[in-house]
Amino acid sequence: MDYIWEGFKEALKLLIGFDKEVYGIIFLSLIVSTTATIISSLLCIPIGIHLGVKKFRGKKAFSRVLYTFMSIPSVIVGLVVAIVLSRRGPFGRFDLLYTPKAMIIAQTLLVTPLILGLTYSLSKSRGKEIEKIGRTLGGNRMDIIILTIKELKLDLIVNVVTAFSRAISEVGAVMIVGGNIKNRTRVITTTISMMNSMGDYPMAIALGLVLLIISFVINSIIYSYSGED
Amino acid sequence: MQVSVKNLKRYYFEKLVLDIDNLTMEKGKITGIIGPNGSGKSTLLNIVAGLDDEYLGTVEYNRQLINKNIYRKMTIVSQKPYLFRRKVYDNIEYPLKVRKMKKDKIKMKVDDIIERFEIEDLRDKRAHLLSGGESQKVSLARALVFEPRLLLLDEPTSNIDPESIKIMEREIVRFNEETKGTVIIVTHNMEQSRRLCHDIIYLEEGKVGY
Repeated sequence: MDYIWEGFKEALKLLIGFDKEVYGIIFLSLIVSTTATIISSLLCIPIGIHLGVKKFRGKKAFSRVLYTFMSIPSVIVGLVVAIVLSRRGPFGRFDLLYTPKAMIIAQTLLVTPLILGLTYSLSKSRGKEIEKIGRTLGGNRMDIIILTIKELKLDLIVNVVTAFSRAISEVGAVMIVGGNIKNRTRVITTTISMMNSMGDYPMAIALGLVLLIISFVINSIIYSYSGED
Repeated sequence: MQVSVKNLKRYYFEKLVLDIDNLTMEKGKITGIIGPNGSGKSTLLNIVAGLDDEYLGTVEYNRQLINKNIYRKMTIVSQKPYLFRRKVYDNIEYPLKVRKMKKDKIKMKVDDIIERFEIEDLRDKRAHLLSGGESQKVSLARALVFEPRLLLLDEPTSNIDPESIKIMEREIVRFNEETKGTVIIVTHNMEQSRRLCHDIIYLEEGKVGY
């Protein structure tokens, strides 16, 4: 049991002492996941809202496919992005594999179905009423999308935070496309996984604590917006 | 705006709920639609409002089929209005904002209608937290602020206090007299239809009675 206690003490030392490597990893994790969530939100929220209220052929099939992709395993996303970005792949000439950019691409693809699906479902259930009012008061398509986003703002924030939570806590995609390279593509989850296999617990515990704090903050935001205690 | 309905049929799961051969609601008049529950009053209103397009037949507005231009000149107030999750003032200014009206003109018009509806005390309150009567008044004020050519009302005064009903009826009549805007109102209240309407249409089992 001593090694666990020692691990905690070392972990706190690393955090309190502002260890450069630990904070570099935390910073990269936040940058990658935040960027991926922002890109995906900007693309998917307007599209999800529009598709949710629009009648179109094959809407049921579209819903099923979308909901399936919401739970796509991160390793599959990582594998697909790695294949596409590898030297022999269609985007190999951009030399993106094993860079933070590749990690952002992978996480964007990972959270896109989640944000699109959650927004689409929200718009399908509550957007119709808003769309109806917007239309009868003279709004055009863009006015109505903006109105719906404003009206569903709180639920959309919860959806975005949920997607961020998925991005920051996933390990498969960033491990495959980032390669867990020291001082370059190492993020919280890949480092914890590596440190655990090496038996080096202090840094793993320190990063685990940070991930827990991030999760706590995310959940606090979700619960405060959804009005629960 | 004159509204003409020809050979209108509306089915719900193969049941014919609306069957009107010919019906005209005159320009500049207040027309009441009355009838028992399930007679097709709200269905007809939703079709005229362009919210329901799954019907057979034609609906014409000044002898034109529905288009974007006509759509922007009409509005509907429903029995349970949806108010935006923002201040009452912001709700009322919305139709003017989407019509790209200048800020000072918007303020003048919104202030004026707030005063006429006697809702000055509600101006900065969150609209979705208002009572039923207050919501109906705000909803009607929001519809009237841009002076539509066709105002559709689906039981706008049901379940609200007499004082609010008085104010709303006064403003509906004022709107009709001052702007010559056409009003079509669905109501259960015979007394109200007599007080407000120039013409009354009776619907029963989806057909025009008299």
